[in-house]
Amino acid sequence: MSKLILAVDDSASMRMLLKASLTAQGFRVESADDGEHGLERMHDVVPDLLITDINMPKMDGFELIEAVRAVPQFRGTPILVLSTEFSDDKKLRARSAGATGWITKPFDSEKLGAAIRRVCP
Amino acid sequence: MPVSDELDEIQAIFFEECTEGLAVAEQGLSAMAAGDVSKEVIAGVFRAVHSIKGGSGAFGHAALLAFSHCFENVLDEVRGGKIAATPEVTKVMLTAFDVLADHVAAAQGVAGPPSDAAALAALEEVLATKGAGTMAIASPAPSTPVETTPVDIEPAPAEADQFGFTPVIAGVEELDPFGFEPVGVSMDDLGSGDPQPWTVRFDPSRAAMANGAEPLLAVREVERLGGVMTEVDISALPPLRDLDPEESYLTWTLSVPATVEESTISECFDFVAPDSVVEITRAAASMAPAMPAPIDPSPAEPKTAPPTPVLALVETANEPPPPPRVTSTADARQVEVVQQTIRVDLMKLDMLLNLVGELVIRNSILSDRLPPVDQERVELPELARLTREIQDNVMSLRAQPIRQAFSRVPRMLRDLAGETGKQVILEVSGETTEVDKGVIEKIGDPLTHMIRNAVDHGIEDPADRLAAGKPAEGLIKLSAEQKGARIFVRVSDDGKGIDRVRVRAKAIEKGIIAADAVLSDEEIDQLICAPGFSTADTISSISGRGVGMDVVRSNVEALGGRVDITSTPGVGTTFTMILPLTLAILDGMIVRLSGQRFVLPLTNVIETVRPEPGQVRPMTPTSEVIELRGNYLPVKRLTDMFGLNEEARRSPEESLIIIVESESVGNVGLMVDTIDDRREVVIKSLDQNLYPIRGLGGATILGDGSIALILDIDALVASAGPITSNAPLKGLAA
Repeated sequence: MSKLILAVDDSASMRMLLKASLTAQGFRVESADDGEHGLERMHDVVPDLLITDINMPKMDGFELIEAVRAVPQFRGTPILVLSTEFSDDKKLRARSAGATGWITKPFDSEKLGAAIRRVCP
Repeated sequence: MPVSDELDEIQAIFFEECTEGLAVAEQGLSAMAAGDVSKEVIAGVFRAVHSIKGGSGAFGHAALLAFSHCFENVLDEVRGGKIAATPEVTKVMLTAFDVLADHVAAAQGVAGPPSDAAALAALEEVLATKGAGTMAIASPAPSTPVETTPVDIEPAPAEADQFGFTPVIAGVEELDPFGFEPVGVSMDDLGSGDPQPWTVRFDPSRAAMANGAEPLLAVREVERLGGVMTEVDISALPPLRDLDPEESYLTWTLSVPATVEESTISECFDFVAPDSVVEITRAAASMAPAMPAPIDPSPAEPKTAPPTPVLALVETANEPPPPPRVTSTADARQVEVVQQTIRVDLMKLDMLLNLVGELVIRNSILSDRLPPVDQERVELPELARLTREIQDNVMSLRAQPIRQAFSRVPRMLRDLAGETGKQVILEVSGETTEVDKGVIEKIGDPLTHMIRNAVDHGIEDPADRLAAGKPAEGLIKLSAEQKGARIFVRVSDDGKGIDRVRVRAKAIEKGIIAADAVLSDEEIDQLICAPGFSTADTISSISGRGVGMDVVRSNVEALGGRVDITSTPGVGTTFTMILPLTLAILDGMIVRLSGQRFVLPLTNVIETVRPEPGQVRPMTPTSEVIELRGNYLPVKRLTDMFGLNEEARRSPEESLIIIVESESVGNVGLMVDTIDDRREVVIKSLDQNLYPIRGLGGATILGDGSIALILDIDALVASAGPITSNAPLKGLAA
């Protein structure tokens, strides 16, 4: 069974782009449009991997990662941050919140796929 | 990558988002200008610009990306309180907003590229002075050429930062205006001589498994690059009682072939934890081409002075002079490039196939005998998966494209055209279908006979064809396809079809059938495969000796297959060889008939029905039908067909009807007592000395060691059993 990915991003075009790129590489992709919905969808979807943006309304990416890690079921789920931001303090925050890795937008479809396979074989 | 239509569609949505984002930003900036500099307002503006930047990068709008990036930097500082949202700063941002809107329009292609030098300079100045001395809008620094404004989108890519997040280079090179690209300094460039393999030492930190990371994945990835684990340091491993399963204790050393780029290796460690140690080094020899003995390129002069006694020992132990090392490594590298093949005795492959079959059977025995809990404990599902993979691989070793068998047909048709004066066009399809080598070797003769038969008996003379309103040239279609565990090889012609009256007369004349025999069209067609049958008025050199089609049938049946013939007078005839894959694992439904178990290939099964009273009813005294959603399908009682009648016949309501799909008759219901299981079974062919029984495709050994016969659905439903007269139902079944 192909890996199931939950992509959380407030931009519809980014969600579609992610879905199109990753589906083309054999992944299954579900999506949510902000942190709150992302957390809800985690429980419905139970993905193999979570990809999240940082800057989102309602609940941002950091809060989402913390909330997801607080759920015992998702303690070992790889989480990748996909953001245009790249400052060290943001990355540090993401890591201490529980992120597995950080990918800077814009993303190259195949490299993103490779990164996903790197944390989630 | 998504296809371009899809990308265009997504990009259109991105522009809609830009419009929305600009509206939000404008509203927010207006509020700020009016004095509302609350956190929410500023955050809203930031998010809007941030989203525009994110998408612009993804869709390759470099100018929009650069500008929104700069704008976002200012907004980020304002949001973080590092720059006060003074009226002056707000004014700079309002101007920047206008330019941003122009950039969006330019990206959409509805306007030309805006001149953003002044706005950029103002933003830069706000950033530099932290908003202190802002008045730059009126006097943009003319010395700053826009084109070269350094916008540092990406940190230096080659450095892992101290937080353990090595930036994954997301650059789409062609749209990256900032000149970063993955750096891979190759040591190969630095010196001559043969590069030595890389040594990769990976010491994950204790906490390497936090945050859902798994250091072993990096090791596995290096192994996929050709890396070989040379050492695992287990010295840090505590006694079992102190071991925390969520901590990492091992240190790996791997040797990676020299041909792999260093950057490729380091990429494997992109997501390891912050304080993990990754060392990628290369043996010094590669850097020092002047190193002595081992790197002697001349094979003619064997060196006798080895660098170390150990090596000397090894070398002198060999009879011939030691081959210089350089030569051997060069050979080794050449070997990597050239695709290697090896000839293996087919017998060995067959033995391997049989052993794998045994392995599959043992697997199913285990899954029968072990309760599910124990199956998990001994990882039986994993064993089954591996077994299946081995089986697929071994099968593929023997598989070859059927093209090999088809390749002699065009030549044959040219020869036949010369002898008979019948011009034939050949259409071939499915020639890449992979078939077991043994099958390919054995279908050569049958194929020859079928083609000859089609030309000699099927295709008419050009004059007759023209008279019948057909093109002068005949058409023969040759095709192969795999369906489930069977290969269908078809030869169809557009000739005159089988002359059933003549075939019947000939068969009576030859004593093959009795003069008063009642035969269906299909049965008459089958007669042409009977031994000693020939209808040709003149015996030609090509066919007509009455051996051809007989050979076809016996060869195909010897392979465990069968021949189907369909013919329409005046339209043409199709011969189909239905062949098994030699050793196939069949997905089967195990059914019970009067206590005996049989295997139904799951590929044929459409659905199962527990009939309601009255749903199955007699059609004629010897046939029954089932009404299913308004259709009537013929029903066959398998117990009757195999003569397994119990003393008391079961009523349909006590039985199950399995609706199966058949090539020849369409959908048919088979009545069985119960369904036992669904299981993968290994097809064992029935022994040669058992007369081929139509309806049986082979046998298998079940998990408990007992034997079950595998049903050949097509042959079964087409064969003339006691309940066979389903011909009138064809229309209803459709």
